[in-house]
Amino acid sequence: MKLRFLIISILALSFTESFGQEKAYFNQTEMGVSFGNSAATWNGENEKRRDFSLITFHGVKISKNHAVGMSLGFDQYESISVIPIAIGWRGFLGKENKPQLIGGFDFGGGSAMFEKKEITEWHESWYRGGIMLSPSIGVKLPSKRGKTSLTMSMAYKRQELGFFTGFFERGNSPRPLPNSKLPPGYGSISETSYLFHSLVVRMGFMF
Amino acid sequence: MKNYSISSLILILTVSGSFFSCQDEITTTYTYRAMVPVYLAMSDVRARQVVIEPGKELENPGKIYLYGDYLLINEPQEGIHILDNTNPSSPINLNFIPIEGNVDLAVNNSMLYADNYVDLLVFDISNIRSIKQVERVKDVFNHMYSNSDTGVILTFKDSVITSTSDQRFINNGFFESNASLGFASNFSGAAQSYGQGGSMARFTLMSGHLYAVDDYSLRVFDVKVPAKPKHLQNIELGWGIETIFPFQEKLFIGSNTGMHIYDASKPSNPIKMSVFEHLTACDPVVVNKDYAFVTLRSGNTCWNGPNELQVVDIKNLREPKLVKAYPMLNPHGLALSGDHLYIAEGQHGLKSFNVANVMGIDQNQLEFLKSMKSVDIIPGPKSLIVIGPDGVCQFDYTKPDKLKPLSCINVKNPVAV
Repeated sequence: MKLRFLIISILALSFTESFGQEKAYFNQTEMGVSFGNSAATWNGENEKRRDFSLITFHGVKISKNHAVGMSLGFDQYESISVIPIAIGWRGFLGKENKPQLIGGFDFGGGSAMFEKKEITEWHESWYRGGIMLSPSIGVKLPSKRGKTSLTMSMAYKRQELGFFTGFFERGNSPRPLPNSKLPPGYGSISETSYLFHSLVVRMGFMF
Repeated sequence: MKNYSISSLILILTVSGSFFSCQDEITTTYTYRAMVPVYLAMSDVRARQVVIEPGKELENPGKIYLYGDYLLINEPQEGIHILDNTNPSSPINLNFIPIEGNVDLAVNNSMLYADNYVDLLVFDISNIRSIKQVERVKDVFNHMYSNSDTGVILTFKDSVITSTSDQRFINNGFFESNASLGFASNFSGAAQSYGQGGSMARFTLMSGHLYAVDDYSLRVFDVKVPAKPKHLQNIELGWGIETIFPFQEKLFIGSNTGMHIYDASKPSNPIKMSVFEHLTACDPVVVNKDYAFVTLRSGNTCWNGPNELQVVDIKNLREPKLVKAYPMLNPHGLALSGDHLYIAEGQHGLKSFNVANVMGIDQNQLEFLKSMKSVDIIPGPKSLIVIGPDGVCQFDYTKPDKLKPLSCINVKNPVAV
């Protein structure tokens, strides 16, 4: 439910802001598919990963060929939903009102706020976000009328994530061992670090 | 222009594609607590000289022993703290005797007996500023040998282990059970019944003899010459032996399955009088002339017994009879001072009762100090000494129905609840 609300908000924001903005305002909103190779499983095989990806960039044009701003999005990595929030840059090559080459770079973090923290009698587990960076390259195909252009882009996206599971001590708690990496109250913990490398193919518009 | 766009697209595809030969990376770090077996050669242990250290902070208090104005606190597997308890409101940490594998102690005429894995050490503590080891009785707790021919003992070290893998953690249960194994041994050894973790020995002195119980047997030492204990014999008791309480030339031995009563009127050769059996549970014992008070508790090493206080009529020592059982929360050690019984309820606190009427003990609860997590109690001449996972606290109990806190020595590393 929260998730649907977020996606709708992002899209609504992109459309509504297209009206009555100053010329300096720049928006690029795209969605598409991210492709990746999952980490090798126990038998050494990789599985292909194909997930949904959405990004909306809001910025200002600081010169004819450069815009800076912030991006917000939604990325799915297998069963994990991530909200990437980043600062970014977009650069343009080519004549205005003609097809242009676009370069982009986003750097920030991905939040796992939509992943529920699980707590049972025996354990608790949660996802934590991590650093995200994404260079991209694409084309801008201006429409014949108006300021809105169609865009197509490809991006590399590097997203770090973490998953923590802690099992509570059962019965009477033993004394924590000094200098141990085990936080008090847990009998065992596991911490998984994920590093996702994705190729994202997106389509959208900018104005 | 069209050509320009197409070549741009090709360029985009090539550049983007070059990012894309890599695969996702996963690293999982597992951290869990376990008892790690450690093999030690007794010859090495014996070769290391015991050097008395200055007083240091309590980390993990084990058994406590009161000798005159001195309070001796065992640090399981590490050694013994000696504190000057002349003023129970302000005990002074004097020094620490590092003794590997030590879990139990007793003092006889300024001679401190302490186990050192399979050996029994004797220290002269008559001058507390100059403690000296005076004797080593070898190979008396030889059940600890994993190979007595080679003199190798097996002990367990409570450890936190970290390992990494490039797989996602899937089988959670494996690590959970691994860790809980560690707890079971650790907690029983380190915090609950104080002294069960390693050699399982428990010491008591009576009639010029030192009696030490381990898991299965009672070891008898002649200590009429305090500096020269003589190992006389081992008496097999059965399994799950836990505590020993001397009273009027009798030994009351608590085990997982019952209370053994031994006649020690001939101290060198205690003779079994009777066994009072109950369900499997952990059970320390205290005794007065007519009754034995036994606490039964469930817990890691105690199976799933009931949590209760049992009152056993011992007027006829050959035929002990259960008088009444009272439900408790998780009773550990207990202490009797006149008509007042103090029960350490583990994490739940400390309770006191008037037990003049054994049929109505539940009607005569005096206090329940819930914040005083406790596992064992000594009713000393100057103070009631209560040991718990957070440290050692002393109370003025001249008014038994209102304990007055005097002091607390906190541990460096308290247990998380």
